[in-house]
Amino acid sequence: MELTGQLALTVLMGAFLLGVLAWLSRVSQVGVPVPALGGSGYGGGESYVNEEKPAGVIRWLTTVDHKDIGMLYGLYAIIAFAVGGLMVVVMRLELLDAQATLISNSFYNSLLTSHGITMLFLFGTPIIAAFANYFVPLLIGADDMAFPRINAIAFWLLPPGALLIWAGFFPLPEIIPAQTAWTMYAPLSAGAGMGNQANAGVDLFLLGLHLTGVSATMGAINFIATIFTERGEKVSWANLDIFSWTILTQSGLILFAFPLLGSALIMLLFDRNFGTSFFIGEGGPMLWQHLFWFFGHPEVYILVLPPMGIVSYVLPRFAGRRLFGFNFVVYSTLAIGVLSFGVWAHHMFSTGMDPRLRLSFMAVSLAIAIPSAVKVFNWITTLWNGQIRLTTPMLFALGFVSNFIIGGVTGVFLASIPVNLILHDTYYIVGHFHYIVMGAIAFAGFAGLYYWFPLYTGRMYQKTLGKMHFWLSMIGTNITFFAMILLGYGGMPRRYATYLPEFATMHQVATLGAMILLVGQIIFVWNFVQSWLEGPVVDDGDPWDLKESGLYTAEWDWFDRKLQTAVTDGGEPAADSGDE
Amino acid sequence: MSDKLFDRETMLDLSVNIIPLAIMGFFVVVFIVVAPFGFDPMTSALQFGLLVVPFVLLAILTYFSGVAVAGTQRSAPLYLPGQATVRGAVELEHPGESPPPQSETDPVPPEE
Repeated sequence: MELTGQLALTVLMGAFLLGVLAWLSRVSQVGVPVPALGGSGYGGGESYVNEEKPAGVIRWLTTVDHKDIGMLYGLYAIIAFAVGGLMVVVMRLELLDAQATLISNSFYNSLLTSHGITMLFLFGTPIIAAFANYFVPLLIGADDMAFPRINAIAFWLLPPGALLIWAGFFPLPEIIPAQTAWTMYAPLSAGAGMGNQANAGVDLFLLGLHLTGVSATMGAINFIATIFTERGEKVSWANLDIFSWTILTQSGLILFAFPLLGSALIMLLFDRNFGTSFFIGEGGPMLWQHLFWFFGHPEVYILVLPPMGIVSYVLPRFAGRRLFGFNFVVYSTLAIGVLSFGVWAHHMFSTGMDPRLRLSFMAVSLAIAIPSAVKVFNWITTLWNGQIRLTTPMLFALGFVSNFIIGGVTGVFLASIPVNLILHDTYYIVGHFHYIVMGAIAFAGFAGLYYWFPLYTGRMYQKTLGKMHFWLSMIGTNITFFAMILLGYGGMPRRYATYLPEFATMHQVATLGAMILLVGQIIFVWNFVQSWLEGPVVDDGDPWDLKESGLYTAEWDWFDRKLQTAVTDGGEPAADSGDE
Repeated sequence: MSDKLFDRETMLDLSVNIIPLAIMGFFVVVFIVVAPFGFDPMTSALQFGLLVVPFVLLAILTYFSGVAVAGTQRSAPLYLPGQATVRGAVELEHPGESPPPQSETDPVPPEE
């Protein structure tokens, strides 16, 4: 009977999605194609932004313009960041005391699962796609992405993906949220045993995750095709900017990693619904872990390489110098890309796998630290004797480097098998990877959002609020996650809603840090929205004075042309994009 | 062409990849010399495969990326990365052009 209910839900959701698709295709037929050079964020009340682009909601539903799709990705990612952030605020408040007082243990598990998946798949990957969609074509001199419509489809798979992932939190009868943690370890995730994870909510969660994977793969194919085939005549491999290099490498990783996750998810869904036993029988849990981490470790680099690209791109602009050892950074990015597929089982050292295999994974894990460390030295050397301007994007880039060093060094220790066996499944791990995902990846995201804010909004943000955002984020990150590293040294296991009283102080410190982070992010949202609506209009194509130091780049040149075109047209939006 | 491409400058750039290759090579030798957990055909093959496969793949990628980047650095107009399409961008000197190249070590390779 339960199977029938699940089937009915699946069919209903499928019918709904087909309906949306049919409606969209109908709308796009009466709509019009969108040019490469169009508006960027000024909706307007007229029926057309310009003669080739409709205005209002129809514009955003039908657009195939890479810049518009980039904006959609950005909006989506920021909403997901807010949802995932609020989830963890509830969790940290719960962890203020040792007992489960605010929420139940099972609801804590649900929040923990959704927080992880939301931040990695609904915030991390999309915020990178936002920057990549908007800027890669501009930076490489392309008119648009190689496959603009696939680009649009890739984005529009994400909202239903998010709804499915969060479905368990909606007031749907008999549907509960997944409580498997983001790793979805079998046999729990296969619905085996006496728990409640055979619920249809977990199936919806897995299907949603699958959709986001399909979306990422489509996007990756598009970026690879774009960077290989759509580069301008002068943009040789040697002239390709570092951000595009990291997006190319990331897309290669996605191409090999995400289809494997998709296959594993399908196998898991078969185990749950069609009586197979890929992950339930003997060796099944190990098989899941191998498949999952063969995807999961490259996923770490899928998430961190483009932020490294943003920092490598932004940091030199405010140091007044070229990136030191540009080729080092390119080659090390590619090296990380390859080696990231050879380290997956360092997440599994304590599973009882053969010690000879563990040794090999340890060796490659130590080797991959080299290209990462090389980048850090390049950033530091770029700063050396530079004319440093501590603007908000620069502060976030410097914060990235600082946090990445702590997150990276704590990670090198974990590559060592004996240390790993002691620290495995403790808060040390949580502290380590949050230094990377929050301290580094999110910081680079903010660096990019502030750096290009004048370009995609046409306005300037409030600088004092930007700096307040940085300092609260920096202090909050280090208080929260350093406390977690100390908790891990003390032996506090991860993923629990309750704990022994001896851990109370450090948990309270971590919660204090999380609240500081929350205040910082509220300031960010306020600044972001208010400045977008009311900030001073930017009328200079070089708002960061990059020409002075010879570091002016293609996207700002495009912005400058756009401003000039608007002026010569008497303020009317540009209609002719022929020179693009 | 390859001889000219993989000169001292290029090899220095590629050293970031050569060091991980050396680390993996080092461990291959160590695991051959020191085998505290014994030898088993299946497991040991996997053990060395896990080191050799990334080693080979990284070596191949390093070679081709070196050819792509260092090759176009010498053969195509060179700009600061991200500036190639900027109006009025100044072309950079090719590596090795300053001081002026000797005739036998002309860094600009002939067209294919």
